[in-house]
Order: sequence, then C-alpha cells, then structure tokens
Amino acid sequence: MSERRAEPASENGSAAGVVGRAPVGGRGAGAGPWLRIRERVPAPLAWVLGAIPVAAVLLLWFAITAGREAESRLVSPTILPSPLEVARSFPELWFDRALTRNLATSFARVLGGFAVAVAVAFPLGLFMGAFTKVKVAFNPLTVFAAYLPIPTLVPLTLSLFGTGETQKVVFLAIAFVIYLTPLFVAAVEGVDDIYLKTAYTLGAGRWQALRKVLLAIAWPDMFEAMRLGFGVGWSYILLAEMVDIGKGLGGIIMVSQRRGPREHIYLVLLVIVAVAFLTDRLWVWLGRKLFPYRETRR
Amino acid sequence: MNGEQKVGPTALGKVVLVLFILGCIAGAAYYFRDLLAPKGAGGPKTIDFNALKQQVGRVEAPDTKGITTVNEYTYVPAEKLPPVKGVSAYRWNPADKVVQFPINVWIGWLPIVAANHGFSPNPESIFAKQYGFKVNLKLIDDPVVARDAFASGESHILWGTLDMMVLFAPGLMADSRTAPRIYQQIDWSNGGDGIVVRGNIHSVKDLKGKTVVYAQNSPSQYFINNLLIAAGIQPNEVHHKYTATAFEAAAAFVADQRIDACVSWAPDIYNIPEKVAGTRILTTTAEANKLIADVWAARADFAKDHPEVIKGLVAGIFTAMEQLSDPAFKERAYQWMADGYGMSVEEVRAMANDAHSTNFAENKNFFLNANDPTNFERTWKNITFVYRELGLVGTPVRFDEVMDFSVIKQLDQEGTFRHQQDTYRTTFAPTSYTKLSAEAPIVTQTIRINFYPNSANIYEPQHDELGNPIPNTLYDPSVEATLEKVARLAGQYERAVIAVVGHTDSSMKGRGTRYQDVKQLSLDRAMAVKQALVKKYKFDPNKFIVEGKAWDEPADPDDPMNQALNRRVEISVYPPEAK
Repeated sequence: MSERRAEPASENGSAAGVVGRAPVGGRGAGAGPWLRIRERVPAPLAWVLGAIPVAAVLLLWFAITAGREAESRLVSPTILPSPLEVARSFPELWFDRALTRNLATSFARVLGGFAVAVAVAFPLGLFMGAFTKVKVAFNPLTVFAAYLPIPTLVPLTLSLFGTGETQKVVFLAIAFVIYLTPLFVAAVEGVDDIYLKTAYTLGAGRWQALRKVLLAIAWPDMFEAMRLGFGVGWSYILLAEMVDIGKGLGGIIMVSQRRGPREHIYLVLLVIVAVAFLTDRLWVWLGRKLFPYRETRR
Repeated sequence: MNGEQKVGPTALGKVVLVLFILGCIAGAAYYFRDLLAPKGAGGPKTIDFNALKQQVGRVEAPDTKGITTVNEYTYVPAEKLPPVKGVSAYRWNPADKVVQFPINVWIGWLPIVAANHGFSPNPESIFAKQYGFKVNLKLIDDPVVARDAFASGESHILWGTLDMMVLFAPGLMADSRTAPRIYQQIDWSNGGDGIVVRGNIHSVKDLKGKTVVYAQNSPSQYFINNLLIAAGIQPNEVHHKYTATAFEAAAAFVADQRIDACVSWAPDIYNIPEKVAGTRILTTTAEANKLIADVWAARADFAKDHPEVIKGLVAGIFTAMEQLSDPAFKERAYQWMADGYGMSVEEVRAMANDAHSTNFAENKNFFLNANDPTNFERTWKNITFVYRELGLVGTPVRFDEVMDFSVIKQLDQEGTFRHQQDTYRTTFAPTSYTKLSAEAPIVTQTIRINFYPNSANIYEPQHDELGNPIPNTLYDPSVEATLEKVARLAGQYERAVIAVVGHTDSSMKGRGTRYQDVKQLSLDRAMAVKQALVKKYKFDPNKFIVEGKAWDEPADPDDPMNQALNRRVEISVYPPEAK
C-alpha cells in the first residue's frame, strides 16, 4: 500500500514543498491556447469554472425530475425527488429531525475518531518512514489492512467496544488509521536524502535528524494527508452509526431509507458535502497559516 | 514611533471588543437555540391508553349482533385501489417473460423456490410449464435495496413482512405505478422471530425501565412495541436502542451487559440462551404465530399490464406448497434453496421451522374473511396503530389501498385449490386457571369494560331514569373496540392460552355483601368477555380460561381504594403447554 501511494505523494511533496514550484506558463496572459499546462487561474474565473459542472448537475437533476405528476417524470420521485421537493423538506429536517444536533453528534464522532487515529498513525507513520526495520515490521499489517473490507469490522467493534460512543469512535479511528498511515509514511520517505546528508555533515544525531529534518520537512505533507483523510470519516459515518441508531446523520439516512421522506436522504448528503467542504476550507486556511512557504499555487 | 499618534482601540480594547461580539453571538445563539438546534419531533410519544379505545372504536360501528358465518368482503378491490396513471416504467422483455422476484434469506420462500425449481429462470418450473412465464429469484437481503430495485422498475416484486409494507407504502404510493399491490401471503413467522431477555425478566411488564435492542423499522420493532403497548407500557418507559439489522441487535445484546433484552431472528434467538448464561427466551413467534406475516407485493403498473402473470405466481406458489408435502420433492427444494443462498442443505433444513407456509385456505381467511382476528385488515390496522403511536408513520395508507384479493377470489370461484385445508389451527385441551397461572404470563393486557352495576352483560343497554333499558344503546359504547383489542392480541398469540380474569371494586366490602356473590359476579364478567370473543371471532372456547377474583387483587397495591382502576378484566397470555 505504502509503495503504491508513495510515488505520487513524494514527487508532489518534494517538488512543491521544498524546492518550490515556479509558476509555469507565465508568458503573456492573452497568448497561447486556452488550456495551458499549469497556468495560474484568477480566483473569480476559478469560481466560475467550478460553478459550471455544479450547475450542470443541478440542471440535469431538474430536467430528469421535472413534471407535476409523478408518472410523467423521467425519474420517479420514489427514486429521486426533484430539487425543489428536496429544498422544501428542509424545515422538517431542521426542526422535526433536529438536523443541527445530529450533525453535531456525527461531527464529534468524526473528530473523535480522527484524533484517536492521528495519535496512532502519526508516530507509526513517522517511525515507519524513518526506520526501515520498523517499516518492514509493520508493512504486512498495513498492506493487509488496506485491503480489508471495513464494513466487516462493525460486528467486531461492537462485541469489543459495546454499543455506545466508544464503538463509533473506534470504528472511525480504524478507518482513519488505515487511510492515514501509508500517507504519513510516504510523506516522511519523500524527504530528499540530500537534507539528511547535509544534516549529518553538520553533525546532527539520529534524533536530531528525525526531528529537525524528516519531521520538519515532511510536516506539510503530513498535514496535507490529514486534510485529505479527514473526509474519509464522512464516508464511513453510515457504517459507524449502524449500531444504536438514533443520533447522528447516518441514523437520519438509514431511517429515511426505510420510512421516508426520501428527500431527507438527499438533503443529508448535501449537508455532509457542505460540511466536508467547509472543513476542507478550514484545513486549507490552517495550512496557509502554518506553512506560508508552501503557498505556491493560485 | 513615539511621536506617532496611535489610531484605534488599544490591545485591551480589541480583546474587549472581540469578547463583546462573541458574547453577543453566543447570547443570540442561546436565545434562538430552538431555531438553530431544535430538539426534533417524532419518536416515541406518550400514549393515552384511554384514548386508544376510541381510536380503534372509530374503525367500526358498534355491532351487537355478533356474526355467525364467515363474513366475506363484498367490495371490488379495483374500486378501492389507487388507479395506475402514466406509462408503465418497469423493465420487461416480452420475448423472455422473466419476472424479477427478489427474496431474502428466509425459509418462507421455499414454496416459490420449489415452484421455480431453483433461483434462475427455468423452463422446467411450474411457472413456465403451466403459466407461460419465467421467474428470476434474486437474493436481495437488504430491504432498502429491494425497495429501490422495486421503485426503479428493476424488479417487479417486493418481498417483505406486512409491517415493512406499512412503512414502505406511503413513499412508494407517491407514484401510482410503484404502488404496492399485495396478492398473497407466503407465511406466518412461526418461531423465526423472538425476544431474548436476561434472567430477571419474566413478563413483558418487567421490561419497564429496561433497555431493549432491536433492528429499527423491522418486524422486531413491531413485535416488541406491539407487546409493550398491549402491556400498557409507555414507549418512553423503555430505553430503546436501535441497530440496522437483527443480527447486530443479537450481537449487541451479547456484548453489552447493560442491555436487558433483544429482539432478533432464528438462529440467534435460540443460540443466545444456550451460550450466554442468565439469558432466556421471553417469547417467540412460535407462540405469537399469527403476528408477523410475510407477503409479496407487485408493482401496480406491472400487475395492471400482466394480470395473468400475477395469477400464475399466486397459483404456482400454492401448487408448490402442495407438492412440498412429498418428502423427496422437499429435499430437492432444500437443495435448490441451499444453492441459491450459497448455504449448506443442513443450514437450510435448520430453518425449516421458522415459518409456516400459508396455503390457499389460509390465504382465503387472511384476505377475504372479515371476521378473522388476524386477517389482512386487522394485521395492517394493528401495525399502523402501533407505528402511529410510536410516531413512525404520518398519514397512513389504508389496507384496501394495497390489498388486492381479486386473485384469491378468482381462484376460489374456480375451485382450483378447494381441497387445501386450513390446518394451522391450534386445538386446546381444557385446563384450569390454577395450573395455568403457576407460570408467569408472557404479557398481561388490562382492559376496562364499564359494566352496568350488578350486570355481567357486556352489551348491556343504557337505562332511563326508571331503570328501563333503552334499545339500540350500549352502556359501554366502546365495548366493541375493547373486545377488538383483546381479539387481536389473542389472535396474534394463536397458540397461547389466554386467561381472562375478572376483578370487581371493593366499594361494597364490609357492607353486607356476600363475598361469594361478588366472586360470582367477577367470574360472570370474565365469562361474558370470553363468550363475546368466541362468538364474534370464532376462537376455540378452550383457548380462554376464566377466573373471578372479586376484590382480592387491587389494580394498584399502593392505592387499593382506586375503584375506577379496580373494576377491570385482565387478559394474560400464557405460553402453550407443549413447550
């Protein structure tokens, strides 16, 4: 697993983070083809370009669910309600089904699982990336875990951790660890040998090299891995909340699948996407504050 | 630097300002907390058990006559079923004629597996040979996936228990083409579902204040909540924990000592008491053998376009039920089922007692007999009632919007399956209350019938000032609804023995009244309830054991003088003898 992921991550990491990428294709703005490799796109244009596919999906959604009568629609409302119907069911989701409280519950679970996972995966990834013996020792396990169908772990966590919050947090933590560890390893391995050699030449010890070179240089990439990994929690929230359904967004989806309203399934999906987007922006913002020297693109 | 005039607030000023703004936001958020983070509605609410009578009562007008014969519905189903609009939207190849029929892992599907000679479309099947179409049985264990396949037209049939249909129907009926039409009952769960408890629980009433785990929106939920309501326990007096599947409910119960009971399926419900010390079975559908009905529903547009296929499915399944009485054929059917599920034949055979296949005669009773205490209508209404009390369904779907008895009626007129008999009836040997009450009842339902003073006639009319009876009135106008409640529970627990125990108030205690007379009155009243039930719903008289307890047992020992509570009849469901 780590090998598979190591390549693109390390290439990206060392190039972007350490050397710094020069803006490519910066000759005259108007010249050249419309699509240029690695060009700089101004923010307003980026927003517009980003909005087009979203609008297209929305339009498609409108089109296939258009029609007053359920029977005259391209896709029946028993499968996909129209965007307006979904929007109209929002107050019910907000008030009757306590969207905010459930969102807070799910968010706390994702956050808890993430915290536990980082506490495990961070040192593990760092040592695996730094010390080959540690790596070969843990590699079979991480490779095995990467191919594990995670849903099968639900009953296992259930019998080990009961039906309460612990089970949910632990389940999410397992998913996070499996995702994060190889990325952390790759980040540490991605640090160019030249820095280590330089450090040794200057008389650095083993621990100094680990702390001041490997960790210091890999840190932005590890942060980036955490940013990518944070979203994983949301994709497993349904599985995590399968036991003791009641609170949480996963519960709302599962209940709506059984007894409706169908609109709430799609609404919750949109809410999850919105929350994931906002947290991602937060990660990006935090990244800029922490590693201003990495700010190369855009 | 020194000379420069500093503009704006000081550092402290900034902090104060930020704190002030944050405080304002927090204050506003707190003020609007119900708007920002509402607590939510729905979920179990408090049930007014007295209003319950009226709710049931509205369903039927008082009927003092009782009915002596099987009372069949006289309406035509097509008049009540929602008409199909628009263009049919299911996948169908007229050249192949393959019905997509998903099923779950459940022995109740053995007849259709047998009729189809396996899971895949088969030219050797009863359907192909006798009715000219093929059936593709597909294992779709997840009800949500099965429902979505049905809604999208990928499958023509939806498997499910009637309680699942109650939950799915409102959504599916948003499109008249996907409205479910139920034509046939496949089986009654007969030991396949059950409730396992820890040792300190002997009766449903002991579940008060305890934690119960079960799969939400499944037969388990109906099973337990139907019992809790019957026992007069409020939903919020029990701590409900939900899982996605019955398997997880069983696992949670085993893993977590704080959970006092679980509702699950065979084989878990039988394995847990064997493997986990201090646990036992409280009740299963081996006793409540007419509670959970498995059915299949067809898409309304498909049923409208292919009535001959629907009829063929129904008839083919009945034919196979008959053929399964041949042990050699049954073995073959087990093998087909094992192949389809990817299980061993032994595993399939072990499920054999989980369900009882309902033949034509039983279906006729279920769909057509308006008097049957556990017919389609009553089962549907009871599920709707339970789920409405729990706040799980909003506007309910009427039973006659989904039940289509036209095929059963047609087959009845043609007489194809006239020879099939309803043998799924328990016969009871007479027993005594003393013998019966040695064991704890599974559940006790307390009912109140307002008897006219000193009368044991439950249909006593009202009296004018001179004491003359007023014709066509009832002293207790909700008596039919009360009887209906008892009949449903007694019907669901078809195999159980029911004790009907009459109690009087103690208002005349020590005022010259002879105790024997009071005892006799309480016994007469219990007897009156029994006779009314036997007459109206055709129960075996030996199913009911009557007892009169006079004023010996006040309803609430802490409040023995609460006479309104004391005048009551208690209906206790006891496990059958052969256990």
